[in-house]
Formats: sequence, C-alpha cells, structure tokens
Amino acid sequence: MSATATARRWVFAGALVLAVLAALRLVVPAGSVPGRMLASVLDVGYASSVLRLTVPIAFAALGGIFAERAGVINIGIEGFLIVSALTTVIVARRLPWAGVTGPAALWLAFLVGVLVSVAVAAVFAVLVVRYRSNQVIAGLAVWLIALGLAPFITLTLFDSSSPTIDTFGTWSVPLLSELPVVGPVLFDASPTVYMLLVATPLAWYALRYTRLGRRIRACGENPKALATGGVSVSRVRYAGVLISGVLAGVGGAGFTVGQVGTFVAVGQTSINGRGFLGIVAYLFGNYNPFAAVGGAMLFAGFDSLQLRLQQIGALDIPAELFGILPFVVVLVTITLVRRTRVPAALGEPYEGEE
Amino acid sequence: MDTAVSLTDITKRFDDVVANDEVDMRVERGAVHALLGENGAGKTTLMNVLYGLYRPTAGEVYVDGDRAEFDSPQDAIAAGVGMIHQHFMLVEPMTVRENIALGWEPVTHGGLKTDDARIDTEVRELSERYGLGLAGDLDTPVEQLSMGARQRVEVLKALYRGADVFIFDEPTAVLTPQEVEELFDIFSQLTAQDKTIIFITHKLGEALTAADGITVLRDGERVGTVDAAGTTREQLAELMVGREVLLDVDRAARGASGDDTRLSVSDLAVTDDRGEPAVHGVDISVRGGEIVGIAGVDGNGQEPLVEAVTGVRDADAGTVRFDGEAVTGLSRRERLDRGLAHVPGDRQEQALVMGFNLVQNAVLGSQHRPPFGRRGRIDWGAAREHAEAVIEEYDVRPPNPDLPARSLSGGNQQKFVVGRELSREPDVVVAAHPTRGVDIGSKEFIHERLLAMREQGAAVLVVSASLDEVVQLSDRIAVMYEGSFVDVVPGDAATEEQLGLLMAGEQPDEPVPTGAGR
Amino acid sequence: MSRALPEGLRRTLRRFAGLSAVERVLVSGAAVVVALLVGAVMLLGSGYVASCREPALFLAGTSFCFDPVAVYAAMYQGAFGTPVNQALTLQRMTLLIFTGLAFAIPYRAGLFNIGAQGQFVLAALATTVSLLALGPLVSGPVATAVLVPVGLLAGAVVGGLYGLLPGVLKTRYGTNEVISTLLLNFIATGVAVVIVKRAFNNPEIQGTVTRSIPEAATLQPWLFPPGTRFSVPVLAATLLLVGGFWWLLNRTTLGYDIRVLGRQQAAAVFGGVDDDRVTVLSMVIAGAVAGLGGGLYVMMVVGRWQVGLPALGFDGIAVSVLAGNNPVGLVPAGLLFGALQSGGLAINFQLGIPRELVDVLRGLVILLVATPELFRIVGRRLQRQGRLRPAGGESG
Repeated sequence: MSATATARRWVFAGALVLAVLAALRLVVPAGSVPGRMLASVLDVGYASSVLRLTVPIAFAALGGIFAERAGVINIGIEGFLIVSALTTVIVARRLPWAGVTGPAALWLAFLVGVLVSVAVAAVFAVLVVRYRSNQVIAGLAVWLIALGLAPFITLTLFDSSSPTIDTFGTWSVPLLSELPVVGPVLFDASPTVYMLLVATPLAWYALRYTRLGRRIRACGENPKALATGGVSVSRVRYAGVLISGVLAGVGGAGFTVGQVGTFVAVGQTSINGRGFLGIVAYLFGNYNPFAAVGGAMLFAGFDSLQLRLQQIGALDIPAELFGILPFVVVLVTITLVRRTRVPAALGEPYEGEE
Repeated sequence: MDTAVSLTDITKRFDDVVANDEVDMRVERGAVHALLGENGAGKTTLMNVLYGLYRPTAGEVYVDGDRAEFDSPQDAIAAGVGMIHQHFMLVEPMTVRENIALGWEPVTHGGLKTDDARIDTEVRELSERYGLGLAGDLDTPVEQLSMGARQRVEVLKALYRGADVFIFDEPTAVLTPQEVEELFDIFSQLTAQDKTIIFITHKLGEALTAADGITVLRDGERVGTVDAAGTTREQLAELMVGREVLLDVDRAARGASGDDTRLSVSDLAVTDDRGEPAVHGVDISVRGGEIVGIAGVDGNGQEPLVEAVTGVRDADAGTVRFDGEAVTGLSRRERLDRGLAHVPGDRQEQALVMGFNLVQNAVLGSQHRPPFGRRGRIDWGAAREHAEAVIEEYDVRPPNPDLPARSLSGGNQQKFVVGRELSREPDVVVAAHPTRGVDIGSKEFIHERLLAMREQGAAVLVVSASLDEVVQLSDRIAVMYEGSFVDVVPGDAATEEQLGLLMAGEQPDEPVPTGAGR
Repeated sequence: MSRALPEGLRRTLRRFAGLSAVERVLVSGAAVVVALLVGAVMLLGSGYVASCREPALFLAGTSFCFDPVAVYAAMYQGAFGTPVNQALTLQRMTLLIFTGLAFAIPYRAGLFNIGAQGQFVLAALATTVSLLALGPLVSGPVATAVLVPVGLLAGAVVGGLYGLLPGVLKTRYGTNEVISTLLLNFIATGVAVVIVKRAFNNPEIQGTVTRSIPEAATLQPWLFPPGTRFSVPVLAATLLLVGGFWWLLNRTTLGYDIRVLGRQQAAAVFGGVDDDRVTVLSMVIAGAVAGLGGGLYVMMVVGRWQVGLPALGFDGIAVSVLAGNNPVGLVPAGLLFGALQSGGLAINFQLGIPRELVDVLRGLVILLVATPELFRIVGRRLQRQGRLRPAGGESG
C-alpha cells in the first residue's frame, strides 16, 4: 500500500518536472533552440554531477530515516552535516603538521568528521531520550548551535572560509568504467558516490531484515509493543539517533573531502540547507531509503541543471527561480499525492521506562 | 490437577487508593478462570501484578508452585506468563511474522539477518497445533487483519515466547459475537494442551459460558470464588454489585413521556476513522421526558452514532433533528447552541482539557455563549462561579476549582463533566457511559440527575456498556448490533435474556412490542 | 557540585521543583545562565587554540586570547552602554517580538510555524514595493500619515497571505505545516529575489537591492540620537500589541479556542471549536505579525529591500521558546536576544571575536529550555539532599 503511494508520488513528480521543463521553452529567449540546448546539457557530465550533488542530501535523508523510524524527530540533521563538514576540514588541515599526509590524512579527517557528528548525535539523543526534550525545538537548537559554532570556529582559526584541502578525487573501477554512459557515471566516481550506492540498499535491507532494523521500526510505531517484547525502547532510540549521526556525518564529511574541499562560514555555511533537503527528501520518499535517495536526486538534478544552463548562458531566468523549482515540485507533490506515512509514535517521548 | 497460578493476600496501593485489598486467587493448570467485576473493581491491577507491571504492596505470587517476584513483564514472560492486552501490543504496519517475533528474533549469518525461516516454521507449527489459522498470513501487515485475527496474533506471540499461563484483559470488548465464539474455541484448544487461562471481564454471561472457575472482585476485594457450573447469573450479579439484582428496579415512579419529539434520527449512516461504514440505517426518535437507552456490545457502532448525533463526526447520510429542526448540516457549536448536552465516552480525551483547571474547563462548549462568552470575550468570574457550583452540587473532590483536571481521579472528573453538561439546561441529552469509573454513590446521584433531566422534559439518549444501567434508566431500549438497531423494546418489557440475544444479533423468537421509533 | 550551591538558592530550587508557571521562568533563567557559562568555556577553549599577539588572560601559566568576563562585559556595554547601542538593542528586540509572536500564536494552537522567515522576507518586499509605488503620489505632511499605514498594511497583508497558504494546505490537504513552512521559506527568498531582479532592481547599486523608500515613510528616531534606526513609538505600539495578544489568548473566546486546540484537539472538537478555522486563522495572524515585522524592518532599519535579510524569522522561534510561547514573556526574551545581537556586533568590532558566538548562545538557550526535565532532575536531587539533612527545615 505504501509502496504504491510512493510510486504514485514519483509518477506525479516526474510529470511535474517534465511539465516544468516543457514550460522552459516559454522562458528561453526567442531565436534559440531550447531543445538542442537542453540536450547539450543533459550528458554524461550532467549525470555525474547530479550523483555528486546527491551524496550529502541523500546521506542526510538516510540518517533522518533511521532517527525518525525509531520515533525521534531529527530536524537537527543540518547541524550534524555542518559540524562534520567543518571538523573534516580542520583535521585535514592540521594533520600534515602531525606528519600525516596524502590520502591517509584525508581518510582520517573523514573519519574524525563522522565521529564528531556521532558525538553531537549522542548528546542530542541523551537530551531527547533520557531528558525528554521537545524534539522539534531541540533539533532546531542543534542546527542553530552548529550554525553559530561552525562560523565561530572557522573565523577563529581561519577566515570567513577555510583554506582549501585536497579531495578524494575519483576512483575508477577497471573494466566497468569503460562501459558506455554507465561507466563514467557510476564507475568513475568519487568514493562518496560509491558509499551512497552501497549505503542505500544497505539501509533498506537493515530496516527490513535485521533485528535492529525491525526493532527500530517497531519503536517508531508502537514502542509499548516493543517494550512488552522485552526490548528497551531507550536503547533502540539511542541506536536510531546514533546511526543517524553516522550517516549524516558521512554526508557532511564526504561533502567536504569528497567534493568541495573547503568550508565556507558565511550565511548558511557551505552545507546551505542540504540537511533540510534531506528531510524533505525522505518525507517525499515516505521513509523508504530508495525513494528518499531518489528525492535527493531530484533536488540535485535541478541544482545541477541550473548550474549548467547558467554556464552556457541558456538560462534567461534568474537562477533563484530555477532554484526554487524543486521546492515547489515537492510541496505540490506531498500536498496532492498524500499519505505520507509518518511513524505513529514519532516525537512522543516514551514514558514507560525510568 | 495442580496449581498453575496462585495469588495470596495481594494488596496494591497507589498512594492513598487501595486498588487491591488482600486478594486471594488460585487457578488450576489447564483451567479457564474468569476474573469478574465492574469497572474499577481492581481486576486489571491484579493481573498487572501477576504480569510484573506492578509490584504488589503486600502478598505473594506463585507460578507453578514457585514464588515469583517479577520486576518487569520480561520476568513474567520468562516464567511462562503471557498477557493479551485489551489494546493490542502490535505494530500495525509490520507483518504478522515481524510482530510475533518482535524482541525475540532469532538471527542467522552472524546476526546480520533475522532467521525468518525459523520463525515461520515455529509459528506455523504453533498455529497448527492450537488451531489459530494464521499460517497463511505471515506476510500480511497486522493493520489489514480483523480484530479477531489480531487477537490470535497476540495469542501466537505469547505462545512463541513460551507462555503457559495466558491473561486476557477484556478479550471480547472489540470482538463480534462470531469472533467471541472463536475465541472461546481457542480457549478450549489451549486448555486441551494444559495451558492455563485467566480472563478479565465484566460480562456475567461470558464468565459463565467460558470459564471453569470465577473469582469476583468488588472495590478491590475478592467477594467470592465460585464454580461456573451450578452458579446462576443472579448469584453472580449479586456478588458483583453487592446487593439484589438491579433488574428489579421499581419503574412505577416514572411518569409518562411528553408527546413532542425532541430528538429524532432517521436513516443515519456514519463512517468510522478507518473509513469503514460503522452505522447504517439507524432510526430513532426520543420524546421530551423520555430516556432511550442504547444497549450493545462495545464497538457495534455506538460511538460513531453518538458522535454523529452530537456533531463531533459528520454523518454520511440521514438526518438528525433537534426539536424538529434538521441539524445534520450544522456544526458542533451550533448544535450545542440548540440545547445539547453531551457526556462523551472518553472524558480525558474529549470532555476535559487535562492541563486546564476546573474554571477553564467549566466553560468548555459554552465559551462563546452567555453568561461566559459575551461579544467574543470570556467572563472568567462567571466561569469560576459556575465551576464552584458544579463542584458543590456534584461533590467533586478535592473541591478546588484551581486544580488542573489531570489531578482529579477518574470518578471526580466524570462527576464534573456530567455536572457541567447537565447544567446547560439542555433539551437534548446524549450520555455515553455516564457512570463509567465512578463510585456507587456517585453513580446513583448521576442516575438521579439523568432522571431529573427527564422530568424536566429533556430527551435523553443513554449509551452504556452496562446492561443494568440501560435497563434501569430507559423507557425504551434500542439494541445495537453491527451498526444498526436490531430492535427497540420498551424498557419495562425487556428481560436480560431477550436483550442479550438481541445484542448478539439474533432476532427474538417472539417479538416484543416494538417501540415507536423503529 | 550541587553541595557548593548556596543554601538560599537550593531552597528556592527545591520549593519550585513542582510548580509549573514559576518553574518555567526559573528554567528559562537557568538556561540563560548555563548557556553563558558554556559560552565562557567555549571562549576559553577557542582562545586557547587560536593564536594572538596580546593574550587577554593568563590562567595557570597558560595564555588565552579571550577573557570571558571581559567579553561579556564588552557585550553588555555593546548592548546597553550608549544610547546608540541601546537603540540597536531595542530595535532588535522590537523586531524579535514580532517574529516571536509569529511562532508563539500558532504554537499555542498546536502548530509549528517555521515559516516566519519567509513571511518576513516577502512582507518586507511588499512594504518596499507599495511605498515605492505610492511615494511619488503623496507629498507634504500628509505623506507620512498615508505612507506609514499603507506600508505596514502591505506587509501585514502579504505576510498574512503567506501564512494563509500553509494553513489551508494543512486543513484541506493535511500537509504538515513544519514541512510546508520550511519549503515556503526557501521559496519566498527565491521569489523575492526574482521579483526584485526583474522589476525593482536599483540600477545604481551592485547587487539585488531596490531603490530606497521615500523619506516620509521612514520611521524616525525619537529620544534617541539621529541616525539610530529605532523608533520609540514603534516600541510602544509593539508593547501594546503584546498586551493585545496576551488579552486575546487569555480573555477572549478565540484565544480560549486556540489554547484548547493546542492542548487537546479532541477536546477542542468536543467544545465546538472549529479547528480548521482556528488553524487557518492563527496561521494568518502569525503571518501578518511576521509581515508587520518585515515592514518595520524596511521602514525603520534599512529603508529598502536587499538580498540577505537577517534571519529574524528563525531568531523569533528561539525568542518564543525562551518566552514559553507567552506573549508577555516575549518582552524580556526579546530584550535578551536583542542585547545578544547588538552585543555580538560590539565584541566583533572591539575584540575581533566572531559575532557568531551569540548564535551559539541562542542555540544553547533554547536547547536547555526545551529540556526542562534536566533542571527538574537537578531540582529533585537537591530536594532529596535537603530531606536527608536534618536541618533542612521544610518538610514535604
């Protein structure tokens, strides 16, 4: 039932995107050949860039799924991304002083970035599970703290943005990367893209077939049923939030070290709402990992399209208008194709255990 | 036969309230034992002690002859005690298989996968052995199952966890009569294999039909233990309520009803929260000065009917009239303005804002009307006077209008709600379970007030799970079954047997004189 | 640790451990204190890591770049030291009260309006555009009398409409307002930029900026030095508005309906509250109030619409949370956050400390306020300790 609802959403959103693209004809300047222009943009490079841009949003979405299916609203996921992205830059900058260089330093920095995200998640988890914080407000607070702390640290240590660090570059899989189209897109990519390609089915599998996954789902729906089965609701919720911290950390750290190589402390930081997009993506995807990652791809697809159209000067409309299209598409879709199946006990502190 | 469960001198106190007072109970292995009593008699508390949810203040629990000191349900489960709660402990979107194994999942591949094959084998075997018939539904999400099937999932869950003693809390409350039959068959299957069953009920008939032994609780005390065989309903009823059976209430005191129809319902159809048709083709009219009672097993459409009449829920079809005026298209507020008083079934969800004090609660439903609401403003002085008056008249304790509703006991909450609603000077009174959870004295007072409403010419509709209450109060009784009225009978012509048959959906052999509304 | 607390404080905490209204105030106060302490630790930590020529503090042989006490003193000076600073603090406080109300009112009706920012942004644009359009048509002494109400009205109407949208989406389609308002924030900023770029860009200035609104529509300082962007009558009107909303919530039928709905939806339906109407209405009111804030921001502070408006909409959430979502509480909470903002600017100018420090404080405060259980547990522990001491005095 929920699978068909999710599918309906995809059909609807797809149609909406096509309609938007068709409408683009109307806004492309007269005399141009919009079709050819669009075609010139939608190539292998486009597909690769979409995948790259998908990574942080998708990891945020996967992370959010684990927290929420365990019954904890995690609006603070943006904060997790910010702290891990920043930590990674700092560690990568400082490690050469300690004599660690090259890929090892990058991987170490990545790892520490993830760990810091997990640490933040742990504090958040203690507050909402043990001390029964208002989850929405505590999540907003995590975001706001990160949004202050990251620029504070960046400005103290560096400047309004950090110096650039190396990035992972791409890994190409022998033979497979030679395949036409699929090869360069899927098999000549950043390690973070591979991580996503692995993490998505893994998350789906974990929720469906592992012991912990089932308990997490039960915990978000009917924690009492879980408790009467002799399982500690608190422990399952801790697990859900910590997994959420791991995944969001991979998203944030991977964004820095797998993609941009710097941390910008201005405004919304370089994370710039990707965590929130992740939340929207999993709501759009009805808490299904595959559909959520697909939702993330929708955002990334628009983002990338806008960048490319601007590059070749084909876009006579302001980039901002193009930038808001995915939000409009998602808002219209979740409004008209309803039945977002929210875990029944989401946001309710569990009172049964002292 | 040996003893499976024995409770000796169990006392359970919550602060000052004694929920169980030195209760003894003994159940033989392979027997079905009923724990009978009215609401609030302490049945569920006692069973929660056995299930490890509460530690007794005093007294001892023995399972299989061993002293048991349970700190949690897990200890009870480990000792072979399983409980099937009234509100099922199931995760609705998850499959039957996932639910049964929840918390007890075997794993393979080094813990990376739940061993579903093993679960399936075991569950199929259990389902087969006890005739539970769920083997084909292991992949079905629980939310797609009927209530009866969900209950069987719960039974399987307990079996899967190795239960030998089964506690059922009001197991028939949500079941259709057919499902009740099936449940009692399951009881037989279980006891045939030496399982022991304790079930909580307030229905005499069920206790007599399904149980071997019956323990009766009243006000937290055990008032008797009897064999089902050789005990009559009257004897049980007397034990339960502590005096002569209520069926012989003096009806002579009742005056004649007026001629004017104040509340009428015609061809009403209502859908419940799940989108299922819950009420269809209901016709009834209530005259001023008349009480019509609605009897029926819980869950046969009484709640949606009451909600549609009072405007809490929209009707799909049909008409509701107050004093001849169609109100079906009117909002809840407009119906309240037309002289409706409504005592809802769920006082803590609906009738009271638990975090508000009694002054604030005193105006709920009248906040927009004089004397409380004038031109958009609320007169809190008038509200306070009103709260104090209700507290005084209905003996709400503690008598402090500044206390939040949450801090009152259930009975006192109910008294406050009844008092507030009946003080509206209503033309139409709809009361669902008006005395649920209140003590005997308050119960009689509330009954008096309802009868007084009748004297004052209001049309009164009473829904109650307690047949006694319906019979005691009603001029006419409508019996509801699967969403419609099976029959409407005059209150003084009805016997409990007749009503019981009607409630089970059977047409009476010799039709009783039919009331006007049918 | 708790043993070190003075007996008086301990007794106070103990006494209030079970009281909810007073407890709230206490929790908020404690949250602010704890946040400031954490901020001090942060300052020490970052001052230890960072390198500077003149360390401000020496402790146990280690040098620290920042001295927390000095920093907080500078913040206080920056917030209240001079009339100019006071004006900035009060200006922020005024605006925060508006965006705070925009969160508080729906919250009392059980709704999370995360969308004040979008309502604020679009309303600011509406005010600007209406004033730019109307400005040339009026002149002389009547100009102010016409322009000020029109500008504010335009802001309130557009903000209200932008609040109406998520309200209607929720009542008609069941769309969760947290998500819809979040999305609408992104959309609002994009739409505003597009509109300005397309139709109202000021060609003389680089960037996405409109022309300046007419002088007559600018709210002038009064009692405060010229050039400060704060108007005392506006604050007075704001305080009246706060009183009005307190009165609305506590003394009117609509307020009663809002509060019942926010606490218990089933009871609201039972009590004849039209939940759809109250939901939509409280979102419209919230949007209109946020919109007034946006209009005031233009007319009192910047005099035009420009890209990168401050995140006052999000700050309003923090203010409202600290205020316990009570209109009257918004005044002290707004003052505190206003002071943090102006104080943040001061430490940035004077000490070179990133002003984002105050954003951290803001986050910490609401994190702690959202966790009253933490303080309750501390309170209970103190209570227990008190009981063990024979000299503890009060019993029960």
